[in-house]
Amino acid sequence: MNAFRDSVNRRVFLKTSAHGFGLTALGSILGSEAFGETPVIDTLHHQAKAKRVIYLFQSGGPSQMDLWDPKPGLKERFGEELPGSIRMGQRITGMTSGQKTLPVAPSIFDFARHGKSGTWVSELLPETAKVVDDLCIIRSMHTEAINHDPAVTFFQSGSQLAGRPSIGSWVSYGLGSINRDLPNYVVLTSRGTGRPDDQPLANRYWEPGFLPTQHSGVKFRNTGDPVLYLSDPAGIDRSRRRDMLDDLARLNGRRHAIVGDPEIEARIAQYEMAFRMQASVPELTDVSGEPESVLGLYGPEVKKPGTYAANCLLARRLAERGVRFVQLFHQGWDHHGGLPKALKGQCYDTDHATAGLLRDLRQRGLLEDTLVIWGGEFGRTIYSQGKLTRENYGRDHHPRCFTMWMAGAGVKKGTTIGATDDYSYNILEDPVHVHDLNATILHLLGIDHERLLFKYQGRQYRLTDVHGSLIKKALA
Amino acid sequence: MVLSLLLAPAVTGEVRFNRDIRPILSDRCLACHGADEAAVEADLRLDDPASAFAGRDGARAIVPGDPGASEMIRRILSSDPDLVMPPPRHPLKLEAEEKKLLEQWIEEGAEYEAHWAFQRIERPPVPGGKRGAEAIDAFIDRRRAEVGMEGMPEASRGKLLRRLSLDLTGLPASVEEIEGFLRDERADAYERQIDRLLASPHYGERMAMWWLDGARYADTHGFQADWERYQWPWRDWVIRSFNDNKSFDRFTIEQIAGDMLPDATPEQILGTGFNRNHRINTEGGALADEWLIENVMDRVDTVGAVWLGLTMNCARCHDHKYDPLTQREFYQFFAFFHNVDEEGKGPGRQGNFKPVLKLHTPEEEAEFNRITREIEQGEKRLMEWLPSGVHGIAKQPFTKRNGNGDARLEREVRKLAQPEARELKDKVLALRQKRAGLERRIQSVMVMAEMEKPRRTFVLNRGEYDQPGEEVQAGLPAFLPPLPEGEEMNRLGLARWLVGREHPLTARVQVNRLWELLFGTGLVASSENLGVQADWPSHPELLDWLAAEFIESGWDVKALLKQMVMTRAYRQDSKVDAARLERDPENRLLTRGPRFRVQAETVRDQALAIAGLLNPELGGPSVYPYQPKGIWSETNFYGNLRNYSHDTDGGQYRRSLYTIWKRTAAPPGMTLFDMPSREVCVVKRSRSNTPLQALALMNDVTYVEASRKFAERMMKHGADLEERLTWGWRCATSREPDPQELVVLIQGHGRRLEGYRANPDEAKALLQAGEAPVMEGVDPVELAALTTTASIILNLDEVITKE
Repeated sequence: MNAFRDSVNRRVFLKTSAHGFGLTALGSILGSEAFGETPVIDTLHHQAKAKRVIYLFQSGGPSQMDLWDPKPGLKERFGEELPGSIRMGQRITGMTSGQKTLPVAPSIFDFARHGKSGTWVSELLPETAKVVDDLCIIRSMHTEAINHDPAVTFFQSGSQLAGRPSIGSWVSYGLGSINRDLPNYVVLTSRGTGRPDDQPLANRYWEPGFLPTQHSGVKFRNTGDPVLYLSDPAGIDRSRRRDMLDDLARLNGRRHAIVGDPEIEARIAQYEMAFRMQASVPELTDVSGEPESVLGLYGPEVKKPGTYAANCLLARRLAERGVRFVQLFHQGWDHHGGLPKALKGQCYDTDHATAGLLRDLRQRGLLEDTLVIWGGEFGRTIYSQGKLTRENYGRDHHPRCFTMWMAGAGVKKGTTIGATDDYSYNILEDPVHVHDLNATILHLLGIDHERLLFKYQGRQYRLTDVHGSLIKKALA
Repeated sequence: MVLSLLLAPAVTGEVRFNRDIRPILSDRCLACHGADEAAVEADLRLDDPASAFAGRDGARAIVPGDPGASEMIRRILSSDPDLVMPPPRHPLKLEAEEKKLLEQWIEEGAEYEAHWAFQRIERPPVPGGKRGAEAIDAFIDRRRAEVGMEGMPEASRGKLLRRLSLDLTGLPASVEEIEGFLRDERADAYERQIDRLLASPHYGERMAMWWLDGARYADTHGFQADWERYQWPWRDWVIRSFNDNKSFDRFTIEQIAGDMLPDATPEQILGTGFNRNHRINTEGGALADEWLIENVMDRVDTVGAVWLGLTMNCARCHDHKYDPLTQREFYQFFAFFHNVDEEGKGPGRQGNFKPVLKLHTPEEEAEFNRITREIEQGEKRLMEWLPSGVHGIAKQPFTKRNGNGDARLEREVRKLAQPEARELKDKVLALRQKRAGLERRIQSVMVMAEMEKPRRTFVLNRGEYDQPGEEVQAGLPAFLPPLPEGEEMNRLGLARWLVGREHPLTARVQVNRLWELLFGTGLVASSENLGVQADWPSHPELLDWLAAEFIESGWDVKALLKQMVMTRAYRQDSKVDAARLERDPENRLLTRGPRFRVQAETVRDQALAIAGLLNPELGGPSVYPYQPKGIWSETNFYGNLRNYSHDTDGGQYRRSLYTIWKRTAAPPGMTLFDMPSREVCVVKRSRSNTPLQALALMNDVTYVEASRKFAERMMKHGADLEERLTWGWRCATSREPDPQELVVLIQGHGRRLEGYRANPDEAKALLQAGEAPVMEGVDPVELAALTTTASIILNLDEVITKE
C-alpha cells in the first residue's frame, strides 16, 4: 500500500471499480513497491517517455523579448507608440491602462545564434545557450489571466480560480509513488536577487484542491526543518524516538486486535514512514558528499542553501530518488520598472544552475526519462511601463504571447516552435495554450489528459478542463 | 471484486431506474446525450424518454420491453469501433455488468423515474409505526435485515460519552464527566448527557466548525499580498446562532437576506456576512469588472453547494451537463447576488471593503477618529525631521504583527539629534498600537446590501466577464418549485424559497450532512452533491423521513441531532469483525458504530484539553497559536500578515476555530489534517492518513508542550506510576488500560526514565518546549520520562479517533 495513501479514496476506488469507472489512480491503490518495475505499467494510457518531471517555474513573468524572442527590427522604433493594429484593443492591466502613451521599448540586450540548431538566445543566458540543443523552445505560449495570482493558479491547476488540484497533485494521484521514504510531489522555493521583494507564492499553487490531502505538494522550507515538524524535539534522540515508536506500534497493534479497524494498520505504517523520512530527508538535503566537479556545474550560488542553484541540485537528488514531480518556484521576475538591472539579477540566479541541472541530469542518464520545463505565468509587454530611456524601461504583464521551454524525456531537441509578430505582441504561428502544455506534460508521463479524472461534486474533473491538445511539434 | 451490498440489485431482483440506471446514464452517457443543447449528439437525449423512445433513421434508441430492438443496446454491445457506445475515445467505459443492467431495465419496460432529490419531501411510513429515534432505528434495522446482518451491542459508557462529547462539543469528555455518567443509574442518564452537551457553549463552537468550511470563512482577502480582513464578528454570529438554537430556516434567511428583512436588526444584517466571506482580489492592476463577476460567481457556487447541494457553476459556460439547469437560469440565479454595491477588487491594504456594517458605538468611533488625528499630526512632524527615504515607513500602518517598519523607524529616529523626536516617535508608536487594538476590537463587518438602482445582469457568453449576451432578470430554475406566494423575486424571496415546505433540496442536504458529521458518511455518500449525479442513498426512506421531521420540527437543529444520537445505531460499539468488514466495508448499513479520525481542529483542541491547557474563552478576534517560524514570510513579502509571532497571553491555547486564517499560508497544523484552505466553499473534507500528520503529532511544539502538561497532570492524579498512567489513559481514551497495555506503558516508561537518568540535560531540554511553566518541585528526569509516555498516548490512533 502506498504510504501516502487515503483510505477513503481507496474505498471509493474499490467501489467505483466494481462499477466500472475506467480509471485508475492505480499507483495509489497498488502502492509504492508494486509500481514502477513491471506490474502496473499496462495501466498507463500509453508508453511513458518521462518517469518524472522537474518544473522550473519562473514566477513573476520573465520577459520573452529580452531572453528568447528577439525583435531586432524594433531598435529603429524606439519610443514609438505601439500601433493600434498590433494592440487591436486588447485589454491591458490596471497598471498601464491609465498611462498616456505605450512607447515601444526595444530590448537593450543582444542575441546570438547558438548550438547546432542555431537557436537565438539572449546574452543574459550564456550557460543556457551552451545547452540550447537540448531545448525545445516554445515562443508561442499564451494564457488567459493577466494578474499574477490567477495566472500562476491557472498554470498550476487549469483554472484561474482557487480549489482545483495542482498539476503535481494530479500526477501524484495518477501515477502514485516510486519512493517509499519521500513525498511524491516536492516544491522548492527561492527568492530572486533581481527583485528580492517580488510577487508572493501562495500555498494554493501546489495544493491538491479536491484530491485527497496526501497528493499535496510538500514544500521543502529554506529555514528550519526542510519538512515541517521533521526534527524530533530537543531531548528526544533517534534511539529514544525509535523506542517511543515501538511502544506506540505495540499499543496501536493491540487496539487493532480488539477493534479490527484496518485504518489502524495504516496509521502504524504512516508512523514508520515518518520515522524513515526523518532520516531520508536530511540525507537528501545533505549535499556535502557532492564533489566539486558536480557543484561546479551549477555555478557559484549552489553552495548557498535556499538559492535557486542549491534547489536545482536538490531537484536532481530528488529526481534520482524517484520523486515524481519536483517543482521549483523562483521569485523575482516581475519587472514593471528597472527591467534591465532586475533581469540581469534573475539571470545571474538561474542561468548557470539551469544549464548545470541539464548537464548533470544528462551525465547521469537521467535526462532521458526526466522532463524539464522552464517558464513563468505570462510574458511582458513590448511597451514600457513608466519612463522609457535608452538604458532603462519596465514592462507590464502580457498574457498574449511568451516563451517557455521543455527538455529531456520525449522532447524534440534543438527546436523552436511558434512565432510572434514584430512586436512580440501577438502569436503568428502555432499558438500553445496553457492547457496544451499541461496535456503534453501528462502525455509524456504516459497519461491521456482526457482520461485522468476525479469525480467531485458529481462531475468528472480533469487538469485540462474540457480543453488541451498535444504540442505535436514538441514531441520527439 | 468488491460489490457493495448497498447497490446490488439482486436484493430486490428488479431494476430500478433511480438506483441502478440513472447513475450509469448520467455518468457515461449524458455528457453527449443529455440536457446541454449545444452538446447533444445525434439529437438523442437519454435523460428524456420522449427522445430516447423516438424513431430516427428507422431505429429507436430504446424500445421498451425489447432490448433486442433497441439501438442503444446494439451500440453498447457492438465491437465495431465506429458504432460502439460510449465511443472508444470517451474516457469512461461501460462494464459488462452495467450493460446487463441496461438490458434488464429495457426488458422490464424502460421505466424512467424523476430524479429523487428533486421530488417533494414526503414523510414515508415508518416500519412498525415507530417515532423519534426509534423510527430511525426501524429504517436501519429493516435495511440490515434485508441482507441478514445485525448491529453491534451498545458501546461502553465511557466510549459512548467520549463519542458524544466529541460530536456535540468537539472536545473529549473529562474523567470526572465519565465518572459521573458511570455512577448515574437513572433510566435517562444518557439523554441527560445529551441535553447537558447541547446546552454547552462549546456546542456552538463545534457546529461553527461544521459550518465555516462551506462558508469559506477566513481572516484574509486571499490574493497575492493576502491582506488581513476582520470578519470574525460574523464567525461569532454563527456560534451564537447555534448556541441559541436558532431555527435553520431563520439561520438561512438571515445569512442570505438578513439585510432585507423588515426593520432588520444589526444582528440580522450581520448574518449576511456569509456572502461576503469570498476572497477579494487586491492585486495592483487587477480589473475590477472581471473580479466583480468572480465575486458573484463565488456566491452562486457557494449558496448552490451549501443549501442546494448542486454544482451551479457547471452552467456558467453552457447548460448543465447533468442537472436540468440552463445557462440562462444560472445567470438568473446569479442576478440575485449581483446587486451589491461593491467594487469588485480591493485596494492594497488590510481592512474590510464596502458594504460594511459598523458594529461599534459612536463613542468608540469618536475615540478612533481622535487617535487617528493625533497619529497623523505626529507623523507629519516626524517627517519634517526624517530623511525622505524613511517617510514611507513613518506612514506605514502599525499593527501588532508587523514590527519591521517600526524597527527601522526606531533606528532612523535614534540618529536624530532632537530628543523630542524620540518622544514623539514613542508617542506615535503607542498611539498606533492603541488604535490597532481598537481596530481589532471594534471592527466593521462586510455584509450584503442592495443597490438602490439594480445592476443589470446578462448571460455571459462562455462565462466570460466581458462577453455579455442576453439581459436577464432574477429568477429560479424551472426544475425546482416556484417562488412561494406573496414573495418578491429578490434575495429575500430566494431565502424564503430555500426554506419553503415545497423545496426538495435544502432539508435533505442538511440532514444528510449532519448525519455525515456523526456517522462519517452521509446517507447519500456524495454529501456535496444531490444533483442527478448524486449517489443513491443507503436508506432513501430514512433520508426523507429525517428531512420531513426536520422541516416539521420548525427546523430545530438541536432536536434533530438529539434524535440521531439517541438511536441504537449511533450508540453501538464500533468494533468490527471480519464478516462485517467484508460485507459492509464502509459501514453504510450501520452494522457497527462510527469510527474515524476526528477533524483537524479537534486533533489539537483535544490535546490541549487533555493537557489542561485549553483556554475555553468564547469568540473574539482571531488568535495566534504556535506555528513554525517564517511560515508567513518565507514566500510573501507583502501584506500586513508577516513575521508571525505566537500569542503569549493565553491566545495560544484557544480553540483551533479561532486561529488566524491566512488563506495563502493557512496553518499547517490544520491543513495537514485535511482542513481546506478556505479559499473556496468546501462542504466535504477528505480524510487522509499521512506521515506528515505523524510528524506533526510527534514534533510540533503544540503537542510536545501538551505532552509535558499532560504528564504533570498525571503526576497530580496519582501517587505511583501505575495510578498516574491509569489516570492518563482514562483521560485520553475514556477507558481503563488493559493489563497488556499497562505493561507496555510501565516498561517503556522505565526504559526512558533510565535513559534520562543517565542524561539529565536531555530531560531538561525536553521540558523547555512551549510557553507554559514547568511544574515546580518535580524531578525533571521523572517528568521528562513521563512526558515521553504522555506523547505516546497522545499519538495513539485511538486518541485521535472517535470510536
